[in-house]
Amino acid sequence: MTRHKKYSALLLVGALSAGLLAGCGSSNTETTSNNGGGNNGGSKDEPVTLRMIESLTSPKRTQLLQASIDKFQTANPNIKVELISPPFDQADNKIRTMLGANEDLDVVEVRDLTVAELVNNGFIEPLDTYAASWSDFSTVSAISKSLGSTGGKLYFVPNGLYERQLFYRADWFKEKGLNPPTTWEELYDTAKKLTDPAKNRYGFSFRGGAGSNGTTDAMVLAYNGDNVDLNDSMFTKDGKSIFSTPEAKSAIELYLKLYKDASPKDSISWGFQEQVQAFTSGVTGMLLQDPDVIQSLSEKMEAGTWATAPLQAGPSGKALLAAGGAGWGITANSKHKDEAWKLISFLSSPAENTEFSKAYGLIPIHTSAAEDDFFKTGPYKTLLDMTNAPDKFLNFKPPFDYPGTGQWGQVEMESGQALILGKANIDDTLASWSKYWDEQKANLKK
Amino acid sequence: MAFQDYKLFDLRHIKFVGFSNFKDAFQDPKFLLALKNSGYWVFFSLISQFLIGLTLALFMKKQFKGRGIYQGFAFYSWALSGFLIGMIWKWMFNSQIGVFNDLLLRTGIIHDRIGFLSNPSWAMASAIIANVWYGVAFFAIMLLAALQSVPADLYEAADMDGASGTRKLLNVTLPYIMPTIISTTLLRAIWIFNDPTLIYGLTNGGPAGSTHILSSLMLDKIIYAGDYGAASAIGVIMIVLLLLYTIFFLGITKAEKVGDF
Repeated sequence: MTRHKKYSALLLVGALSAGLLAGCGSSNTETTSNNGGGNNGGSKDEPVTLRMIESLTSPKRTQLLQASIDKFQTANPNIKVELISPPFDQADNKIRTMLGANEDLDVVEVRDLTVAELVNNGFIEPLDTYAASWSDFSTVSAISKSLGSTGGKLYFVPNGLYERQLFYRADWFKEKGLNPPTTWEELYDTAKKLTDPAKNRYGFSFRGGAGSNGTTDAMVLAYNGDNVDLNDSMFTKDGKSIFSTPEAKSAIELYLKLYKDASPKDSISWGFQEQVQAFTSGVTGMLLQDPDVIQSLSEKMEAGTWATAPLQAGPSGKALLAAGGAGWGITANSKHKDEAWKLISFLSSPAENTEFSKAYGLIPIHTSAAEDDFFKTGPYKTLLDMTNAPDKFLNFKPPFDYPGTGQWGQVEMESGQALILGKANIDDTLASWSKYWDEQKANLKK
Repeated sequence: MAFQDYKLFDLRHIKFVGFSNFKDAFQDPKFLLALKNSGYWVFFSLISQFLIGLTLALFMKKQFKGRGIYQGFAFYSWALSGFLIGMIWKWMFNSQIGVFNDLLLRTGIIHDRIGFLSNPSWAMASAIIANVWYGVAFFAIMLLAALQSVPADLYEAADMDGASGTRKLLNVTLPYIMPTIISTTLLRAIWIFNDPTLIYGLTNGGPAGSTHILSSLMLDKIIYAGDYGAASAIGVIMIVLLLLYTIFFLGITKAEKVGDF
């Protein structure tokens, strides 16, 4: 009984207690009182403890990160790093709660989705001054710099880039004499041909649960094609929401057909885990995902049964592509900013970042790393191919400057599910999505 | 907090808004659906858990071969967290690789896979089934303890009067364990109502909010919307509902208890 009550209470107060729990962790540095705040961290001889929190946690990633931190600690014996790794689902809220409560935190994992919000609340520090004197900054790719910046200032150094591509069952395609689809329309046709419910086989690993906006946004963007404002990607060049165009309606009609005719019924509530599981277990034939799944596909599937292809284009032949990711930032109230930067520049160095990217399945942030053969072959090759064809794969900046970006996934998921279930129609749904972004734009101008 | 516009995403604009969070809640179709779902959730879970729990307890009261193993199995669910149970049942209900669809297809009961959790008309019922499994052990444990305390001479007296098995159950066993039944059903109803963990692990309130109960909606407001004001308002409404339920329940059960025993 008590155990049951304990669990209920724990989840109910989840985020609330998160801050408190963190506060109960091991003690902060013993020398904080001597540092006087500002940018002057502890002197070289005084031991300093940095508290660092990650957001995109997974057991494997935490292990890799800890290994890098251990190397840093060996090289800097006077700096101790205490890594906080909350479960992925609760991590961003724990970060918000800890920052909101002014708890001791020095290094924080900022996400593309949360950067605007953290900057708005004054929780994180601009890094431009630090980066200016960092020798490795010159090889950081333009896209990584752009990802870590908002309002013209750099707020985090990405720890790797995510970019979507198609993973498909090469053996099923061969069996049916199919080629990888180059457009969304072809993707639907191919998925339909692969679908055979009697065999429990479906063409597409649909994602209707958490993160479903990845698919709807990609389709609507591709259908709007050249008309999208690449610097303000939720809007067209004439300032209207991308969801308000006739092209958006065609995209969503196809999206619904993709679910109805070529995806398992359950996929209405699938998130990342279910979507990937269905592909690896042989239920679905095509999966749109970031390179961090490469590791798990390599482990669970036989070599030769799967391959990769570029992201699909819209009717105009253009696909819209963006890199996403997370990285390390310094909290505004950190008492050890210099030491925090030392840690960030160590983790972001070409050697550490390339190793981390290879081990976890990310695109490295340094242009020099792309020369590595590892990224020129196999499943990563498609990503480089897309980068090398900028006329067809238009690079857009996701709406990370809008504080509402972090909420968009949830808003889209619920209304998207209602649409799939026939509880709402396409026009009303698109109108509500347009309204959401119009309001975001209006609020940003205030 | 229930009277404030308190959003984690916008901590610089926290302000007093009076009853606005409550008004918004009662105008939100999601809240009204969660309120209705909470009613179904508590009622069907409680009745089924009680009846199955009582049957198990009556069964386990008698000595039979392998009783220990059977008891262990029946109480197993109580050792797990609601969240974990939700996750486990999510895979069992899965229409592609789940055990239920597989069994039903193999036995020829169905020919098309059922989307237990993806079809809104199945989703709430599926969640209740998982919850029944979770809570049966609690009733079984509590009622078994109560049954074992019924004095044997009461049954002997009933036997001498020529009472049948059903008669003994209705006139001796149930009245004797009535205080335990009242306290366990009261407590259990409150827990079922308050506990979002199973729903959270199983469906996360989906699809399209169709399986939200009040407690999971409250959690949703915190985790995804960071809206502590709205979540607190739901919390206050839940406390009021529980208070009303407790007063009502204790009122009627007291009267019945006087009449029966």
